[in-house]
Amino acid sequence: MSSNTLSRRRFLKASAQAGGGLFIAAQLPGCAFGGALPIDLADDGFVPNAFLQLTTTNDIIFYCPADEMGQGIRTGLATLVGEELDVHPDKMRVVSAGSHEDYNNPEYEMQLTGGSNAIRAFNEPLRQIGADTRALLLNAASLNLGIPVGQLTTENGMIIAGERRYPYGEFLGTASTLPLPEGTPLKSADQFKFIGSEFPRIDAEEKTTGEAVFGIDIDIPDMVSAVVVRAPVAGSKIDSFNAEKALGIPGVIDVIEISSGVAVIAESYWQANRAAPLVEINWQSTPLDSVSSATMRADLTAAIEEDSQATTDREGDPEHAFSESSQIHSATFFTPLLAHAPMEPLNATLRLKNGVADLWTGVQAIGSAQGLIERITGYPREQIHVHNQYLGGGFGRRATLTHIVEVTEIALALEKPVQLIWSRENDLQNGLYRPASLMKLHAALDDTGRITGWQARRAGGNLTPDYMRNSLPALLPNLPEFVFEGMTAATDYMLKRWTTDGSSVEGLHETYDLPNREISHVTVDHGLPLTFWRSVGHSYTGFAVESMMDELAEAAKLDPISFRLKQLESKPRMAGVISKAGELMQAMSVPEDHHLGVAAHSSFSTDVAQIAEVSVTGNKIRVHKVICVVDCGLAVNPDIVRSQLEGSVMFALTATLHGKIDLEQGAVVQSNFHDYPILRMDEAPAVEVVIMPSDAGPTGIGEPGVPPLAPAVANAVYRATGQRLRELPLLLA
Amino acid sequence: MISFHLNGQRVEFSGDADTPLLWVVRDVFKLKGSKFGCGAGLCGACTMHLDGSAMKTCVLPVAAVAGKKVTTIEGLSAEGELHPLQTAWVTHNVPQCGYCQSGQIMAAAALLESNPTASLEDIDRAMAGNICRCGCYPRIKTAIADAGRQLVAADNTGKSAIAYNAMAEEDEA
Repeated sequence: MSSNTLSRRRFLKASAQAGGGLFIAAQLPGCAFGGALPIDLADDGFVPNAFLQLTTTNDIIFYCPADEMGQGIRTGLATLVGEELDVHPDKMRVVSAGSHEDYNNPEYEMQLTGGSNAIRAFNEPLRQIGADTRALLLNAASLNLGIPVGQLTTENGMIIAGERRYPYGEFLGTASTLPLPEGTPLKSADQFKFIGSEFPRIDAEEKTTGEAVFGIDIDIPDMVSAVVVRAPVAGSKIDSFNAEKALGIPGVIDVIEISSGVAVIAESYWQANRAAPLVEINWQSTPLDSVSSATMRADLTAAIEEDSQATTDREGDPEHAFSESSQIHSATFFTPLLAHAPMEPLNATLRLKNGVADLWTGVQAIGSAQGLIERITGYPREQIHVHNQYLGGGFGRRATLTHIVEVTEIALALEKPVQLIWSRENDLQNGLYRPASLMKLHAALDDTGRITGWQARRAGGNLTPDYMRNSLPALLPNLPEFVFEGMTAATDYMLKRWTTDGSSVEGLHETYDLPNREISHVTVDHGLPLTFWRSVGHSYTGFAVESMMDELAEAAKLDPISFRLKQLESKPRMAGVISKAGELMQAMSVPEDHHLGVAAHSSFSTDVAQIAEVSVTGNKIRVHKVICVVDCGLAVNPDIVRSQLEGSVMFALTATLHGKIDLEQGAVVQSNFHDYPILRMDEAPAVEVVIMPSDAGPTGIGEPGVPPLAPAVANAVYRATGQRLRELPLLLA
Repeated sequence: MISFHLNGQRVEFSGDADTPLLWVVRDVFKLKGSKFGCGAGLCGACTMHLDGSAMKTCVLPVAAVAGKKVTTIEGLSAEGELHPLQTAWVTHNVPQCGYCQSGQIMAAAALLESNPTASLEDIDRAMAGNICRCGCYPRIKTAIADAGRQLVAADNTGKSAIAYNAMAEEDEA
């Protein structure tokens, strides 16, 4: 266990890197907190490392370093450690790890679940920990039994010595006196017992009985409820407020001003939420007041033509390629602002008592939650305990922790345990959003249908400045605000002038061989808070690029599969995925009035192709079936891979058919599920998933299924109607 | 004072009669399986049974359930047993984040109670009030159809597969 010394720290280096927009986090010192492990040691518990505790009663506890928000990561990571430890994931008790640097995401150097990297980043470390712990138990058993290690083996938590079987728990005393072996050889694929096999996810049962505990279910003695009234236009500050009427509502205890607005405190959520609209607040004006969806769109349309404002990355000689080309094709695509709308509204429960803080919540960044509480309360780090529960959906929204700031400010003021709950209206209107994007693509084709030149430009907001604004105070709790303001402003300036924010343009060229290319970006910042939304930049670039590929295939007089294969000479993995999709497409028999569209996209190191079967009646688009072909390396749990792709299809179909957030005078128009509709069962297509066999290491599956869906549907709609829809949500004329 | 039956037990609530049933069940009776999702009867995460029918409870004043039978996910099956729908949910690996699933299962249980041989179209119609943001719909549909078959099979053998009917009758006594 290393301590948090200055030598471990790295300074912010905001260079532009493609791939997820999390690069800033990756170069920060992180929330590295050493000291004692946040593990409740059982009387007879043995903790060989930060991830496991074994007891003499044969409890095997796995401290899961990634946050479970539906993606199945508890099952996935338990499978990795269990495979090498030789314990079925079902036989382990899997709990959320507390905050400690030993649980840092190996790629981000902080505790952060996002960017679909957990299975990839933890694969080798967790398997190694499982293997080393098993080797330790074998060494201990060998000493105790007087049998050479070579004559012992294991089976699902038992040491096997000939005919005799001994639970691991019998050897903990000896094991605790021995050094933990290092570098124990890992199993080869043909030795796997659990990896690649089919079994229910470990949380399936508790999530069907109502017993699974989410943040919102926490109920502690003397707890009061809080609802916060925030500015209708983001960033606006309070001029004055009058709480008289709100205080008259039965159950209301107090009304206080906090940094984000006015908090109404009551005995229960329902009382607080009923009183909240009665608080009269005068908000100061902000520049965002003058922005509406129409002006935002007009700003993007003007900005994308501003060559002098663009930051550019080039490869080869695009001008030459375009001048030599026999055919040039151009198209412009638009995607709107979106909200995440996880089913569980944001919430947090905080108790500050005798210098000890206990936070119960469900977030994608528990170290940051700890850092924020440290910053606001001044409590020492080791007195701040974060109890992360199941997340009722994340999709990127639970990586930004403004609600933790709020609950901490309220709990400090009240000197009582407090539970903060955001209403659904708060969730949709006071959040952070997937940015709106305008994308202009130009392609040069040669006579054989190869793309010889590629220019792609996106205009829209960047995610990194908001991410820094919200994360730096948590990551560096002892530094004053002005430092972060300076760092954020400098990064913002840089991203507007010199270099491109990786997540703003990710996906604009990576899927294919695109020589002689120019990827450029014009930042348009309206001041609306922005953040990661499932598949981040790929969620909009995938739509633009894959719609464009369909248009180009038509221009080249090739079918969409062979056209794509022509651009994949150096990318055999994606070529394999698309070839398979082509085979499946050929084998489909569809009614005459159904039409097929195909799209493929590579993101988070995973390749996905989708075929959408669509019909159009009047101007209503109906998606009947989606076939997904995926290469995510080794599928640790194939059924979870399938379910993530099914879910991605539904999540993306909501955005394809319904999703948009509108602004009017700077305020979000949509307020609940009546005007921000989510796909329902009667619109849900059947989904079939084909997983490509692979020996490569596992790659992410939470996000890569999202980007290809909208273009696959749009391409099918073109076949059905002859209309090229270049804007989301799809709307037929 | 409002009294009603909650999972077979008579309970009393003396607070504001306008309080939605969801919050009475969660805050006062501490049953946390039913969830808050929208507060407007739009998502179905709060679905319970009121005299056997599926009901969105985040907008239902507790006064409206006086004297009636309320069943939550905690009372769907007898202690330690799973309802055939819950078994099917596990078999088909339905849940992802899991937050909406209590409401989904309660809506499905009311459907199968009245129509165990529900067609896929019947299922679509009955479940259209329940949102799943994770998009578990194909599996939910499969699991409901599967549980329906189990219920019909159990009924043909003369055994009731639903334990909570028995609990409700016990309460009458």
